[in-house]
Amino acid sequence: MFISIKGRLDKMIELKNVTAGYNGIDVINDISLELAEGNNLCILGPNGCGKTTLLKAIAGIIPVKGDILIDGKSIKKMKRHEIAKKIAVMSQISTIYFSYTVFETVLLGRYLYMKGNIFKEPSEYDKAYVEKCLEAVGLLKLKNKQINTLSGGQIQRVFLARTLAQEPSIILLDEPTNHLDLRYQKELIDHLNKWSKEEGHSVIGVFHDINLAMELADSILVLDSGRCAGFGKPEEIIANNLLNKVYRMDIVGYMIDSLKQWKSFQS
Amino acid sequence: MKTGVKILISIIICIIVLVLAVGIGSVYIEPFDILKIIYSNIFNKPLTQDIEANLVSIIWKIRLPRALIAFIVGGALAVSGSVMQSVLKNPLASSYTLGVSSGASVGAGLVIITGFTIPLLGKFTLPFIGLLSGLIAVYLAISFSAKIDKNMENNTIILIGMVFSLFINALITLMTALSRENIERLTFWQMGSFSLKEWSDVMILFPIVVICVISLMRFSKELDIMTFGEEQALTMGVEMKKVKWILLGLSAALTGSAIAFVGVIGFIDLIAPHVVRRIFGSSHRLVIPMSMLFGGAFMVVCDLIARTIIPLSELPVGAVTAIIGAPFFAYVYFDKRKVR
Repeated sequence: MFISIKGRLDKMIELKNVTAGYNGIDVINDISLELAEGNNLCILGPNGCGKTTLLKAIAGIIPVKGDILIDGKSIKKMKRHEIAKKIAVMSQISTIYFSYTVFETVLLGRYLYMKGNIFKEPSEYDKAYVEKCLEAVGLLKLKNKQINTLSGGQIQRVFLARTLAQEPSIILLDEPTNHLDLRYQKELIDHLNKWSKEEGHSVIGVFHDINLAMELADSILVLDSGRCAGFGKPEEIIANNLLNKVYRMDIVGYMIDSLKQWKSFQS
Repeated sequence: MKTGVKILISIIICIIVLVLAVGIGSVYIEPFDILKIIYSNIFNKPLTQDIEANLVSIIWKIRLPRALIAFIVGGALAVSGSVMQSVLKNPLASSYTLGVSSGASVGAGLVIITGFTIPLLGKFTLPFIGLLSGLIAVYLAISFSAKIDKNMENNTIILIGMVFSLFINALITLMTALSRENIERLTFWQMGSFSLKEWSDVMILFPIVVICVISLMRFSKELDIMTFGEEQALTMGVEMKKVKWILLGLSAALTGSAIAFVGVIGFIDLIAPHVVRRIFGSSHRLVIPMSMLFGGAFMVVCDLIARTIIPLSELPVGAVTAIIGAPFFAYVYFDKRKVR
């Protein structure tokens, strides 16, 4: 449903020795990776390992040493609106001080495409696009509701719709399933998978839930104390017992144990 | 109710309030006579015989410019407040938080104490210096925040602004204490008043406010986005730093020029935007112009109360806005918390 006319790119996004942090203190160090069009990347690692910082670096919110290329172009040379046409960030729910309707909120995602007179109504195309995005997240019926009357899960989906409305090629997510119940977690992942595979886009997400990460990821980056502890296909990461090392617990054993328990409940 | 209808009702209320404010006072003047007098003065048409000449001068020379100044000042403060709240993503923020009023008070205080006049400006020396020192205070507060925090985070700006305000307020207290002969003028300036306002004041303030408000309206979409947070705004393509400087500067100029003419008047900037958001929603396309109307009308009513409630004496209008504004604001604020 989202129109895309781009061809396949081997390197949709490329990180070259990226180091970044806050107030002069580096949080992530020397991260390099490549991601091809249509591929999703999940970032795993224990609390405080620099996952969110890496996302912020990719989004161009914080200054980086090294370089980040999108479609071969350095984000250091791109203007804000150019970056925003490529990369959208699905925000976490924060306190909503000033409420807007669901439709108004998603329409803000069209900001980049709606320059012009303040009294001009949004174009039919923009309106239709917003409705499409709302339909994609199943919220079209609630479009005239105030967002501060919605549940956490619904707000999360409104923000996803706004992210889609931005027409990005890359979506960044920071623990997007926080406020979602199991069904919506699954739906979100399915939706993102469809979006990236059918349109040839990419999702880069930070997850705590390893199972969800496995469902979404074509490749996984494991961070440990701000450094790359491993980068590869999900099965390679699991096979190498890398997660056990960085989380300092027997993750694989824990997963298998809990599945055994489920099985025993069923029989 | 349709938004268009709401806007129409707001405009009608504003006109009624203005007509009432011009009509009510020590001499009561019929609304119809008021309209006739205004019409004749604007289009230079002769008046009918039944209207006395002194009524004409009461309306045209005294009450109308006063009501208009009150309206413009109220509107300017309200618009400035709505923008500050959204830019700083804080429902309690206003230009005062950034030290505009404190800065303006120091400047105005110095002019009052020294009796200093700039040759070309004459009686406008006081508002000019007030505006200038208010803007300097905000500029210092923001550039200092930008120095210690490269991202110009809201909390940094608010904290620095508060520290600046408190520091400057101490200077004002010192000034007041050391200059007892001017204590009445200083105190009255700090409480605000619309008395003795003339057309010349309107002619200067009106264009400044119109230019600032229209410029701010051009940033409606950016303001909408900024209420969702700075990082979000950045990733949606807003050049945050530039936009933030422009918005803070324009709203400081609005507050600064308004209070430079009439003294410090609080609370309108805080409450008007909250009321407007309740009625019209949060979209700045409406919040900004409607804040202008609501703030203006509210200020005119407050001034009407200030000059008529005790016969033959006038209360400082800043006290009236605060007396009505404080409980109202508490209601809005705590009511919101209850919902959360």
